Amino acid sequence: MLGYLARRGLRALTTLLGTTLILFLLVRVLPADPAVSIAGPKAEPETLAAIRADLGLDRPLVVQYGRYLWQLAHGDLGVSYVTGRRVAQVIGERVPATALLAVTGLAFGFLFGLLTGIGTAPRQGSTVDMLVLLVTLVGLALPTFWLGNLLIYAFGYRLRLLPLGGYGTLAHLVLPAATLALYRLFFYARFVHTNVGGTLASDYVRTARAKGAAESRVLLRHALPNGLIPIVTLLGLDVAELMSGVVLTETVFNWPGLGRLAVQSVFSLDVPVMAGTVLFSAVLVLVCNLLVDLLYGVIDPRVQHG
Amino acid sequence: MADPVAEAWRGTPRSRLLLGSGILLAAALVLIAVAAPWLTRYPPDALVVTSYHGPEPPSRAHPLGTDTLGRDVWARLAFGARTSLVVAGLGMTISLVLGVGVGLVAGYLGGWVDAACMWLVDLVLTMPSLLLLIVLATVLPPSLLTIPLVIGLVGWTTFARTVRGEVLSLREREHVTAARALGATHAWVLARHLLPGVLPGIVVLAALGMSGAVTIDAGLSYLGLGAPLPVPSWGRMVSEVQTYFGVAPWLTVLPGVAIALAVIAFNLIGYGLIGIIGSRRA
Repeated sequence: MLGYLARRGLRALTTLLGTTLILFLLVRVLPADPAVSIAGPKAEPETLAAIRADLGLDRPLVVQYGRYLWQLAHGDLGVSYVTGRRVAQVIGERVPATALLAVTGLAFGFLFGLLTGIGTAPRQGSTVDMLVLLVTLVGLALPTFWLGNLLIYAFGYRLRLLPLGGYGTLAHLVLPAATLALYRLFFYARFVHTNVGGTLASDYVRTARAKGAAESRVLLRHALPNGLIPIVTLLGLDVAELMSGVVLTETVFNWPGLGRLAVQSVFSLDVPVMAGTVLFSAVLVLVCNLLVDLLYGVIDPRVQHG
Repeated sequence: MADPVAEAWRGTPRSRLLLGSGILLAAALVLIAVAAPWLTRYPPDALVVTSYHGPEPPSRAHPLGTDTLGRDVWARLAFGARTSLVVAGLGMTISLVLGVGVGLVAGYLGGWVDAACMWLVDLVLTMPSLLLLIVLATVLPPSLLTIPLVIGLVGWTTFARTVRGEVLSLREREHVTAARALGATHAWVLARHLLPGVLPGIVVLAALGMSGAVTIDAGLSYLGLGAPLPVPSWGRMVSEVQTYFGVAPWLTVLPGVAIALAVIAFNLIGYGLIGIIGSRRA
C-alpha cells in the first residue's frame, strides 16, 4: 500500500509540474504585452520598459519559469493586471460560491442518478430499459447553457417562482444547481442502470439466486457492491468535467464564482488571474484524483499491484 | 470501449436500428449544411425584414421567424449547420490523427516513450477541458481554424488511450510476432498489422468524438470564443438572444434543438457501431 501511495503521489507531483510548465508557456505566447495591459496603450516607452523589468519579462525564459515556480511555491499567484489585487486573494473570494454550486449540483445529480439507475437496473430488456436509454440519450445531448436558459424561462420568467440569476439566497441556488445536476442525473442513471444490470446477469448472481437468496438481497448484497466499484473512478473523472460545466452555468446565471472569473479574465486579458484560475482547478482535479486512487486501493486491493 | 455510458448499448439487437437512425439524422444535417444556399432565399447575416419591429414569430415568409437583428432564423440555422459540422469535423479529425499516432507509437514501442506519452495524456486530462479550451482559444489568433485546432489539442487523449490499450494486446498476437521475425520494419508492422486491428475502435471513437466536438464548439461559441463574426454559429445564436427570451422564446429554443439533434445523431452512430462490433467480437 505504501509503495502504491508513493507511486501515485509522485505521479501527481510530476503532472502538477507539467501543468505549471504548460501554463507558463501559454501565458508567454499570449499576444497581449503585459506591460501595455497594465500601463495602457498610451504609456511612454520608458514606463513600459520599467514595468517589463519589474515583472522580469526582459530575462531569459528559463529564469522567468524558475521565478514563476518560486513564487508559486510561496503561494504567490501574482497580481491582477486589471484590479492590481493579489490573484490568490481574488480566487479565494470566489471559491465558496463555486464550491456551493458544484457540490450541490454533483450531490443531487449523483444521488438521483444512482437511485434511478438502481431502480431500473433489474428491468433489462423491457420497455423501462428502452425508456432509460432513450431519455438519457436525449438528456445528455442538451447543451448546458441552453438547458440553463430554458430553466430560467420556465421557472424565472413564466412561473416567476425563482430569480433569473444572481447570488445570495437559497432561491438563487436552485436553478444553476439544477442545470449542473440534470446532466449528472442522466449520466449516472445510465451508468448505474447498465453496470448493475450487467452484474445482475453474471454467474455469481445466478448462483446466489439458485441458493435461494431473496431478490432484494441479490441486488443489495451481490450486484450493487461490484457494479458500483467503477463509479468511484467515474466520480474522480467527473471533477474536471464539473469544472467545465461550472464555467458555462456560472456565465448563464451570473453566478460570482471561479468560472465567471476565468471567462472575465480571458476577455480582459488579465493573464495572472486566468493562469491562476486554471492552475487552481488543475490542482483541485489532481487532489480529487489522488483521493479516488487511495479509495480505490482500499476497496479493490487488486489495483495496488497493478 | 472507453466510454462507460456508451457501454449501455452494447450487444443489443437494437444496434442496427440505432446505427441506421443515427446515419439518417446525420445525413439530413449534412444535407442541410451543404444545400443551405438553396434551402433559403435569405443570406444568414443580413437584415431581411422590410421594417424592423423586433423579432417576428414564424410566418410564411420566414418559417422559423426572424431574430433580434431582423435576420432570418432558418437561414442562420442552415448556414450555422455548416459552421458547426465543419468545425466539429475538423476538430475531431485533428484529435483522431494526433491521438491515433500517439497511441500507436506509445503502445508499440512501450518503455519510456509510452510513459512519456501517458504522462502527457494525464496532463491534458488534469486541466478542466473548457478552461484549457478557453485559454487556447484566446492565445491563438482568431480564425475559422482556431477552434478545430483547439478541439484537436484537447480531445486527442481519448483516442490515444484507447488505441494504446488495443495495441498493447495486439502486439502480443502471433501474426505480429511472425511479421517481426520475418524482418518487417516497425513502420510496416504498425501500418499493416496494428492499424487495421484498432480501426473498428477508432470509427466508434470518431463518431462519439464528433458529438463531443459539436458540444464543445457550441459552448465556446456561446461564450463568444467560437468562429469569428459574421459566421453564424448555433452556440452564439443562443447567447445573442438571451435577453429576448421572454418575448421570443423560439429564438433560444431552435439553435439548442439543432445542437442536440447533431449530438444525438453522432451518438446514435457510435452506440450502434459499438453494439455491432461488440457482438461480432464476442
